[in-house]
Amino acid sequence: MTDHTVRSYDIELEALGRKIAEMGGIAEKMLSDAMDSLATHDSNLARSTVASDLRLDILQREIEEQAIMTIARRQPFAADLREIVAAIRISGDLERVGDLAKNIAKRALKLGAETRMQRAIVGLKSMHETAAMLLKDALDAYAMRDAERARQVWTNDVELDALEDSVFRDLLTFMMEDPRNISFCAHLLFVSKNIERIGDHSTNIAETVVYLVTGEVLPMDRPKGPSPASDLPQISK
Amino acid sequence: MTNTPNGKAADLPTKISVKDLRFFYASHLALKSINVPLYTNKVTALIGPSGCGKSTLLRVLNRMYDLYPRQRAEGEVLLDGENILDQKQDLNLLRARVGMVFQKPTPFPMSIYDNIAFGIKLYEKLPKSELDGRVENALRGAAIWDEVRDKLSASGLSLSGGQQQRLCIARTVAIHPEVILFDEPCSALDPISTAKVEELIDELKEKYTIAIVTHNMQQAARVSEYTAFMYLGELVEFAPTTQIFTAPENPRTQNYITGRFG
Amino acid sequence: MASYAARRRSNFVWLSLCWASTAFGLCFLIIILATLFWHGFGGLSLTVFTQPTRPPDEIGGLQNAIVGSLIMTVVGVAIGAPLGLLAGTYMAEYGRHSKLTFVVRFINDILLSAPSIVIGLFIYQVMVAPMHHFSGISGAVALAVIVVPVVVRTTEDMLLLVPGPLREAASALGLPRSTVVVRIAYRAARAGIITGILLAVARISGETAPLLFTALNNQFFSANLNTPMASLPAVIFQYAMNPSPVWHSLAWTGALIITLAVLALSIFARVFSSKGSAK
Repeated sequence: MTDHTVRSYDIELEALGRKIAEMGGIAEKMLSDAMDSLATHDSNLARSTVASDLRLDILQREIEEQAIMTIARRQPFAADLREIVAAIRISGDLERVGDLAKNIAKRALKLGAETRMQRAIVGLKSMHETAAMLLKDALDAYAMRDAERARQVWTNDVELDALEDSVFRDLLTFMMEDPRNISFCAHLLFVSKNIERIGDHSTNIAETVVYLVTGEVLPMDRPKGPSPASDLPQISK
Repeated sequence: MTNTPNGKAADLPTKISVKDLRFFYASHLALKSINVPLYTNKVTALIGPSGCGKSTLLRVLNRMYDLYPRQRAEGEVLLDGENILDQKQDLNLLRARVGMVFQKPTPFPMSIYDNIAFGIKLYEKLPKSELDGRVENALRGAAIWDEVRDKLSASGLSLSGGQQQRLCIARTVAIHPEVILFDEPCSALDPISTAKVEELIDELKEKYTIAIVTHNMQQAARVSEYTAFMYLGELVEFAPTTQIFTAPENPRTQNYITGRFG
Repeated sequence: MASYAARRRSNFVWLSLCWASTAFGLCFLIIILATLFWHGFGGLSLTVFTQPTRPPDEIGGLQNAIVGSLIMTVVGVAIGAPLGLLAGTYMAEYGRHSKLTFVVRFINDILLSAPSIVIGLFIYQVMVAPMHHFSGISGAVALAVIVVPVVVRTTEDMLLLVPGPLREAASALGLPRSTVVVRIAYRAARAGIITGILLAVARISGETAPLLFTALNNQFFSANLNTPMASLPAVIFQYAMNPSPVWHSLAWTGALIITLAVLALSIFARVFSSKGSAK
């Protein structure tokens, strides 16, 4: 797209885009660090993950303020309007992703030296990989203004839902196997929920990107995998 | 239904339907095959850079261009299904049905009362008391009654710019038109007066079909339900206002409303 | 800062020149007026207005000349002003872009600056010669010919000053063209048009040349337009050429009367137009 007649307008919008990119980078790193700290029991890594959430919050504030100022000053329309709305929404999603990653890191700290069932974490790892991929794809789609790629994220979230479902079953099984696993596995259940939420936020970002690029609002009912609650293994009649 | 450039025509009662309109200033083609509807009791905004032909289009709708030599229109402009470009069209009758408010306030050099009564008296012979009532109604209708009720015999020129503009709207409303055309009605007004006129337009659409030419995009977004973007004598895009200002289909519309050219 | 001083200096020089030339021009005006009052004021008396002109040795007045001037001026304006008004209206309102308007405007400008004696000769040819005698009416017509271009010009100019949007606004109410012109455009331009007519009156009330060949002069009182008619300028001309000191004095008085009348008209026109535009 050609430049605005008013140059500073372009500069403002570019600044917004850069900050979103920075937030995306931090959120991605927080997620992978949190998962690593969980797997390797690296409490330093977990603590630094918790700490970096602050930066994310600050960035989100800045983006919001800047977006509001731009709306007040420029009365943006069309693509510009969508650009700014997208910045507000995506920064909100990324801030939530950061919160969720921070929560995972905190659990990693809490679990501390508890014995780890590596086989329980395997399922979470593949969930993490999928979620990280979704997040990355959503952020790439934003950076490249690629509605097609965003649509892919939107549909691929189904995989994550399915994975969560199977992790849920596994953890439930481990807990039934040995009640001593319950505390550990309960934490992991929350972690899996957090990862699933991160996937949802990635999907939101993808939806926002589609709106940003095309102005189109995606339908309310996203393709959904089977809900984990829909067919719970029956716990004894 | 008119075939608008991108098929965005809604299935609504149409007051004026412009079909394949071309307009010439001498030999210069100023409007190139315009197709656009004005929906009944809706506000339609015409936007576009200077010289795009939006004012020209407006001035075709009441055949204001007939005042000037060497200007001519081809095609059809249907007002309630009747082609007003027809040579047999009674211009004075047409203009009584399709009123117009101009960029600069143009009160007549006479009293506030006479500014309103003048037009009424032209069409109807009314007893004084009834005429008073009509004048009051018109002034109320234009939300200026409270400001001028005590000085009806003062000159129309003694009012402020915003008041003058509302006086002109009252004058237009007084003769009961069906359509009101606004040609940049607020470009000479301060923000408060502008807000009053916009509020007025919002009320007027209950009774009238309205078209407004404006350079102020925010104003178009605020007051209109449909927006037509024109560029270089062409109608580039016609769509619901919400769509034009959030997600226009045509890149030229996008560029214009986001301030990327012109 | 040096350039600022230079600018101030040059400003001072030019401003001084402006003042000087204004004073120079005003100086003559004051001398003329003072002379008029000096010589004419003493002669002002009731008899000037009640007695007709008499032979040089008798006490007389200017009654017949004043009445003659009034009649011919009024008739001249009555003929010339409507013609000029209509022509100016056509040019400004109807035929603004037509060739005819262009031609009329061109010819009108020539007529505006035509020497008035030429107009007198012309009327002599077309009216006095065929009628075989001088007459008040031919004098009035000659004056009318002077009035027309003035009124045409001011009417057109004043109507052109009426903003186009005002006409459009009136037309947009569905007013027919004639109503727009008469009720709106004339109204908006009223002060200017009337001022133009008053200026024409002022102009013709001092004209001598066109009357010499048309109304000639008349020593006696006559309100009959078909007979030669006295007029103030013609009488002044005649009296001033005569060695009689009585006549000289009357001539001065006549000149003062014309000047005061024109001055009164101008002031009236100025007051009227400023009142009109303030409204």
